[in-house]
Amino acid sequence: MSKLLHPRFVIGTSLVLAVLLAAIFAPLLAPYNPAHQDLLATLAPAAWQHGGSVAHLLGTDSLGRDVLSRLIYGARAAMLVAVAAATGAALIGSLLALAGGYLGGWVDWSIGRAVDVWMSFPPVILSLILMTGLGTGLFNVILAIVLVDWTRFCRVLRAEVLVVTHRDHVAAARLLGFSHLRTVLLEVLPAVLPLLFTLFALEMGIAVVVEAILSFVGLGVGANQIAWGQMIADGRQAVFEAPWNLLAPVLAIFATVAGCNLAGDGLRRALDLDTTRA
Amino acid sequence: MSLLTVENLTVTARVGQGGVARLAPVLRGVGLALDKGEVLGIVGESGAGKSMLGRAIAGYLPPGFSVAGGRVDFNRRNLLAITAEARRAMLGREIAFIPQEPLSALNPVRTVFSQLGEHYTHLGIPRREHRARAIEALAEVQLPDPESLLRRFPHQLSGGMCQRVLIAMAFASRPRLIVADEPTTALDVSVQARILELMAALQRRAGTAVLFITHDLRLAAGICDRLAVLYAGAVVEEGGAASVLSRPLHPYTRALELANPALSARRGLMVLPDHMPGLAALAEATGCRFAPRCPVRSHGCAEREIPLIGDDRRVACQYPERTLGITPSAPAPPHRAGTGEALLSVEGLGRRFRVGGMFRRHGVTALEDASFTLREGEFLGVVGESGSGKSTLARLIVGLDRPTTGRIILAGADVTKGDAAARQIRLANLQMVFQNPSSALNPRRRVGSIVAQALEAAHRPTVEREAVAAELMRAMGLDPALVSRLPAQLSGGQRQRVNIARALAARPRLLVADEIVSGLDVSIQAQLLALLARLRAGGIALVFISHDLAVVRHLCDRVIVMQQGRIVEQGETERVFASPQADYTRELLAAAPPDIGAPAPTRLLAIPPPAG
Repeated sequence: MSKLLHPRFVIGTSLVLAVLLAAIFAPLLAPYNPAHQDLLATLAPAAWQHGGSVAHLLGTDSLGRDVLSRLIYGARAAMLVAVAAATGAALIGSLLALAGGYLGGWVDWSIGRAVDVWMSFPPVILSLILMTGLGTGLFNVILAIVLVDWTRFCRVLRAEVLVVTHRDHVAAARLLGFSHLRTVLLEVLPAVLPLLFTLFALEMGIAVVVEAILSFVGLGVGANQIAWGQMIADGRQAVFEAPWNLLAPVLAIFATVAGCNLAGDGLRRALDLDTTRA
Repeated sequence: MSLLTVENLTVTARVGQGGVARLAPVLRGVGLALDKGEVLGIVGESGAGKSMLGRAIAGYLPPGFSVAGGRVDFNRRNLLAITAEARRAMLGREIAFIPQEPLSALNPVRTVFSQLGEHYTHLGIPRREHRARAIEALAEVQLPDPESLLRRFPHQLSGGMCQRVLIAMAFASRPRLIVADEPTTALDVSVQARILELMAALQRRAGTAVLFITHDLRLAAGICDRLAVLYAGAVVEEGGAASVLSRPLHPYTRALELANPALSARRGLMVLPDHMPGLAALAEATGCRFAPRCPVRSHGCAEREIPLIGDDRRVACQYPERTLGITPSAPAPPHRAGTGEALLSVEGLGRRFRVGGMFRRHGVTALEDASFTLREGEFLGVVGESGSGKSTLARLIVGLDRPTTGRIILAGADVTKGDAAARQIRLANLQMVFQNPSSALNPRRRVGSIVAQALEAAHRPTVEREAVAAELMRAMGLDPALVSRLPAQLSGGQRQRVNIARALAARPRLLVADEIVSGLDVSIQAQLLALLARLRAGGIALVFISHDLAVVRHLCDRVIVMQQGRIVEQGETERVFASPQADYTRELLAAAPPDIGAPAPTRLLAIPPPAG
């Protein structure tokens, strides 16, 4: 498909793929053990800066740990959270959206009101409260994001489901003998998939940011895990001596989120059927 | 000196993807002349380029379209050469337009007065005169109570009222030329007749010239002085309206006329094969563009294109003398006496909807006390205008909606409740064909998968599905190779056949068809009517919902006339059309465009102005 070669999609997917590969092959790619401390070489500058060396390409942090290695290992937490949280939120959200939009009536009404109430909480506060209650840890970060962000999927998809459900081919499928389940799976769901993929990609970016925020305030994946948010919190103290301690994870987050957004946008354009084409 | 002369006008469109864009001629060397106070009809099916003519005059071609040559002289000035400002000054003042979709042509958030006033300001009428002018103008287009109408918003008016407001706007500047592009296509039959009569009256009084663009030969026959028939971007025949209709010289004109079912009697139809070439095909076409579909073509037609020749009557055909010899290719469908067993009985059926918000809810009756019986193999027509309850009736019969009162008996079993048992009875006996194939066909399914969907629902194996799909495609006159296409890659007529094929795959005894030929071109409509007539040989029964009386007359054995949710008349088609009993039926029949050659009606303004 030529539409998949759109620069937006190519750049976005490359960025996300790069981060994903870094996460998977972290032990092979990282030059050092990310937890190894070299207290004789703390806050070493990046290779291209004055006094830097190729031994530590991005320098070391205040405990003498290799920043590049920590960055690569940090991608693991980021990607795990991104994929798992987006999957969870998409599952819950689209299930309820399909139920509400297709069945209508009181089912739709109840789900809609639940979403309204849910969305009236500020998302960051809600996730902070959840994390306080649940305690730190990778699984709990994922759970908190899913619990906060399923509404995003639900509300947007429900509107689309509603439109598709009222198309005549859905009624025709019922008249031809399709059960409700098959009608939803074969006639309604395929039409909303492009939107679902787009939302999924956007949600991955959001999850990366939320994970960083939670780790930054110390309510994230926990002290024994390496996370970009934690690196930012650590790097903040020595920002003038070793700026790359801070800049590297910030740029990593930026690249990942931008990649997700671009990929999602490109995916939507590629998958959206041009039904008006003659 | 003519008011408007179009000379050798050529408009091209870019087609093709990527780097290999080609130019397709949408209009080719079109030449026309329009005198003061004359009504010139531009007749053609969709894709003929008739709307492009109007848009070229307005200087408003869609993106990708451009004028490649020729000139359009209005009042001795070439509209294609003047500046945009000069043209803007002329449009709305000397040339006015009446659009196809009255509701979308008005701004929904502004009152009628505010929009009329804006137009008056453009015309340079002082503000203090606006109100008096507006009231006078609305009274002129026979809108009741103009004073209060000025405060209303477009959504509070009916389509016909909106079109009257737009006509009032178009005539406000006493223009010399009005371009009306399908001005009544979006309106109901009875409203359509009144709007046309109104336009004709205003046109005669003000001596305005009108370029009347339409797909409907019958409509054009009633209102136009002269006719130009367009096919694939070129004028194929031109002349005085009466002469073109009574003695067509081009085979396409003759075929168009014969493709229309008649209102006065059942007759055979001319069914042309295939459809008009699309943009991509136009880029490559040579020779006479109509030759591939022409019933009287001979050698050389496909190679040579004849220019438009003649003085008063012009025709672009090598063998015009053969045209009158063309006779209908499909015989009139036979009548079937209602002697079979009752297949569907509807008793006292009614449907009320609750509308409004959480408070102030009130009921709206969509259907009330409908009763009729349909026998095996019978074709039943349901006619009525929009809002008459036709579609509600169809949805109740097929079980997409439940009635609030009454009973539905299908094949001897009560299916009113719509429970699992009723669903099984419906599945075994009836299917529905929906109006709009672009909504009724899942755009993501391949044609083959759509056609065999009933077998998919019954969990039949793939081999069987493919075999049935291919068989049905052939039965519908479609190339079985199309099964791998997506619906968007088919033409409108092909899509509607796929739509019908899918319903037939379930082997129903009763087919409910909701407006399935409306919105299609007459030659495509004729193809589908011939197809439906062939189906009846298989013994299928049909509930055929339509607003087109002539089509119902052509196809159906019995007819039901509906008005505002009630059945006002029902009976044998011949009887109802020959001696209608209900006032409303008579009104509908009077409003329908008369058959070509029938005496011109003079009655229209005798009908009191509409209430809504």
